[in-house]
Amino acid sequence: MTAALFGTRRGAIVAAVLLLIALALPKLVYPVLAIDIIAYGLFAVAFDLLLGFTGLLSFGHAMFWGGAGYVATILIAKANVPFPLAVILAIAYAAVLALIVGAIAIRRQGIYFAMITLALAQLQYFFAYQLGGWTGGENGVQLSSRGTLFGIALENDIAFYYAVLAVAALGTYLVVRVVRSPFGAVLGAMRENEQRAIALGFRVDRYKLIAFVMSGTLAGVAGVLFAVGNRLSGLDGVDWHTSGKVVMMSILGGIGTVFGPIAGAGIFESLDFFVSKTAIGDKTNIVMGTIFALCVLLFRRGIIGELLADRTKRAKT
Amino acid sequence: MALGLSVIFGMLRIVNFAHGAMFMLGAFVAYYGFQLVHMPFYAAIIVAPLIVAAFGLAIEVLFLRRLYRLDPLYGLLFTFALVLIIEDSMRLVAGSVGSPYETPAGLDFAVNIGFALFPAYRLFAIGFAMVVCLVVWLILERTPLGARIRAATEAPVLVRALGIDTQLLVSLTFAAGVALAALGGVLAAPIQNVEPTMGDKIIINTFAIVVIGGLGSIGGSVITGFALGLLQTLGAVIFPAFNDTLIFMLMIIVLLIRPSGLFGAPASAK
Amino acid sequence: MRFSRSLPAVLALALLASSFPAPPARGADSGPIKIAVITDMSGVYAALAGPGAIEATKMAVEDFGGKVLGRPIEVLTIDHRNNGPDAAIKAREAYDGGADLALDMTNSAVALAVAAVAKEKKKLAIVTGGASSALTGANCNRYTYHYAYDTYALAASTGANVAAQSNGKTWYAIVPNYAFGTAMLADFTAAIERKGGKMQKADLYPFGSTTDFSSYLLSAKNSGAQVLGLFNAGLDTTNSMKQAKQFGVDKVMKIAVGLLFLTDVDALPDVYAGSRITTSWYWNYNSESRKWADKYAKRMHGLRPSDIQAADYSAATQWLDAVKAVGTTDADKIQQYLDNRQFNDFYAKGGEWRGRDHRVIHEMYVVDVLPKEQVKEPHAWFKVVQVIPPGRAFRPESASTCKKDW
Repeated sequence: MTAALFGTRRGAIVAAVLLLIALALPKLVYPVLAIDIIAYGLFAVAFDLLLGFTGLLSFGHAMFWGGAGYVATILIAKANVPFPLAVILAIAYAAVLALIVGAIAIRRQGIYFAMITLALAQLQYFFAYQLGGWTGGENGVQLSSRGTLFGIALENDIAFYYAVLAVAALGTYLVVRVVRSPFGAVLGAMRENEQRAIALGFRVDRYKLIAFVMSGTLAGVAGVLFAVGNRLSGLDGVDWHTSGKVVMMSILGGIGTVFGPIAGAGIFESLDFFVSKTAIGDKTNIVMGTIFALCVLLFRRGIIGELLADRTKRAKT
Repeated sequence: MALGLSVIFGMLRIVNFAHGAMFMLGAFVAYYGFQLVHMPFYAAIIVAPLIVAAFGLAIEVLFLRRLYRLDPLYGLLFTFALVLIIEDSMRLVAGSVGSPYETPAGLDFAVNIGFALFPAYRLFAIGFAMVVCLVVWLILERTPLGARIRAATEAPVLVRALGIDTQLLVSLTFAAGVALAALGGVLAAPIQNVEPTMGDKIIINTFAIVVIGGLGSIGGSVITGFALGLLQTLGAVIFPAFNDTLIFMLMIIVLLIRPSGLFGAPASAK
Repeated sequence: MRFSRSLPAVLALALLASSFPAPPARGADSGPIKIAVITDMSGVYAALAGPGAIEATKMAVEDFGGKVLGRPIEVLTIDHRNNGPDAAIKAREAYDGGADLALDMTNSAVALAVAAVAKEKKKLAIVTGGASSALTGANCNRYTYHYAYDTYALAASTGANVAAQSNGKTWYAIVPNYAFGTAMLADFTAAIERKGGKMQKADLYPFGSTTDFSSYLLSAKNSGAQVLGLFNAGLDTTNSMKQAKQFGVDKVMKIAVGLLFLTDVDALPDVYAGSRITTSWYWNYNSESRKWADKYAKRMHGLRPSDIQAADYSAATQWLDAVKAVGTTDADKIQQYLDNRQFNDFYAKGGEWRGRDHRVIHEMYVVDVLPKEQVKEPHAWFKVVQVIPPGRAFRPESASTCKKDW
């Protein structure tokens, strides 16, 4: 059920429009905000691989995002590990963490899965708090520079933005490939009817675990981009509100559409940023929560999902 | 102690992020009740849950009802949105810092319980919470109404076929759950500061209790809740640094050994 | 049907389109000189900094004449929402938009994040609100000064003051287990031991989820220690102080609080009465401070300023003086001018921009929060019990961990 990807002409148009917006983004908004948007976009794509294509709602994805961010910044700032190695280790951390968490969490489904991922994410959150010597506790870890990649300094915000965009595009492309592969088809079958998938002889748990690890790893990649882009990582990165945020972004954009979550992240981040400059101040959640509640009540397919859903009136919940 | 209260929330079968927010609203109703009309604590303990329950009922009827036929995850997501809206709205109304709520008259003394002085109010709150737990458990397990509620949440179609208005039952159950959360908030108000994020701190622990205790057994939830409360109190003394993580560690262990939770008998066993 | 279904989506897209503003203007050497006040406008620190910090900075600009180097001075309001990344991105935007000074940064995570941005952008940041002494330690840099107070100064002043008394020798501490709390504990312990006192026991409690302090308070009460140290801040202090009174701990022990602001007491005078704390300034201390507080109160509906708000005024004025003296807003030149400069104003007595680590030192004040019956007018909650000279209040230069990058 992934026809709504490139399958329709509309899908291609949406993808092209998004790409154009993404290319022009640093001209439209403040470049570092643009970096945030793209990093969150990739995070949401990674999350959507799990929710949209596998049917698993993780409420603890911040643990990969924030965790990998911590590992990267700590290695660079405290252990003087070279930049590329630190990034690789950070992503490896997210992958291993996803493997462990996934192995525990896939034992249950639905709401239990959500709660278990949430609780495990809290576990990491508390460790991040307690190990203040490494994580700086509530003060976070700051980087004095973004370092270099292949000999190119990443200090320039615009240059860094396009590097981030390239990584995010690659990540999204990978997700597209996964989703459209036979493996993705099995995931879809599992989402639609798990019993039938089992009956067909698929080792459902193994597929779920692989999807979980891929999603967690990619979320880790996004988290590293965010942390390096902002030159800091802190507790809010591993907080459950961040997990909630990526859920909101994905659903707002449209789950199961790959590009929807990117649009969702863009809308969410920019709206949040600009609303915070109005009289509402730090109570942006009134606005964001209302939009999300309306989204859950009225257009569950999300913005991009609604745009794509012309003829194919799927009875998807 | 805080866990003793949170047990109450875990009992109802509705997974509701907003329970923490309802807990907070209960405390705020008590606070504003006192500020505006000098409503005494003993009145607040009844009035505040009713007011918040009415609010919860409105949300159930207006919004949540539309989501029942969908994946329950949408209900979870909607209540998450509610938390964000309610919390930030309260921050807008009441400020972020919070306000004190006086210890109720008649309970503002300390009792000598052998080895130390203990504030009378705390004893009252613990006792009151236990009584409420017991009453709710009795209603659910031992009365025809309780039987219907359990049936309606487990097999709504079947129950409807028997001519029982499940919609009404579900709404009432939801309202009762909200009222219990609000009651917890009122009981906590004199101990803590009344502030908009006070619900956040308990909701995740509540989730863990539900997972550990398993659903289907209210008694299991209560026992788990109290056992964990005890464990955390002891843990605070033995290794305080990792006290917070204890509950989650336990949850992982339980899940590995008994995926359905300690007291969560397989669906058919009851 | 189809129209109505896709309508919300179209609306949302329209919203997306409208939420992109025009790109920010580039800064220039002409046009207004901008001071970015990065503060908490509506969160937990809004009362002690927030709108009051903005107003205090505006007062400084007005009193300065509204112009320097022939250019008008503008005060930017930036809400950091107590979020490090959020503050960092807004600080970058402000510096890129032509701001020459970032001020306030109430919240340590925010202060550290903005300090890093200041270093990157080579623009000045003066932290008044953030508490972490890492700003002049491990995280020190050329472009960041720490102006009002820090965890070391609070702990050293309160700890030394109480432990100097014969009934303040043995301590029992209740400490949140996070960076602020453990830093406070270490600094308090050192200060107490220097005066011959002893930290009998310290209970570390999990931060964030602890609202019930009864077990810690009971064990503190039974410990026989003379002083209870609450090395926490904000809501935790409120809750633990409130419960300490419920258990009657204040009847048998002195209570020393790590970090408390005048505006905290404004909200809950009864709860805090009887505790001993350290502040960098108190509005009702002398006629000079009172004079400024009266001006502030006129503009702020009768409220009295916290020490942070006074520090914002003072720091903004000092910086404008420096700009005028040097004849440029260039951060490197201002920094060279400020380093090791001594000054005095209504806020800072015996002030010095310490060149070794960019700690701005001045007198600190140990105060008691008065019981209700001794409070003579609203907001006059404190009584100064000891003045700590600059040299003793702050971490000595010899013990500095700052690796100078300038």
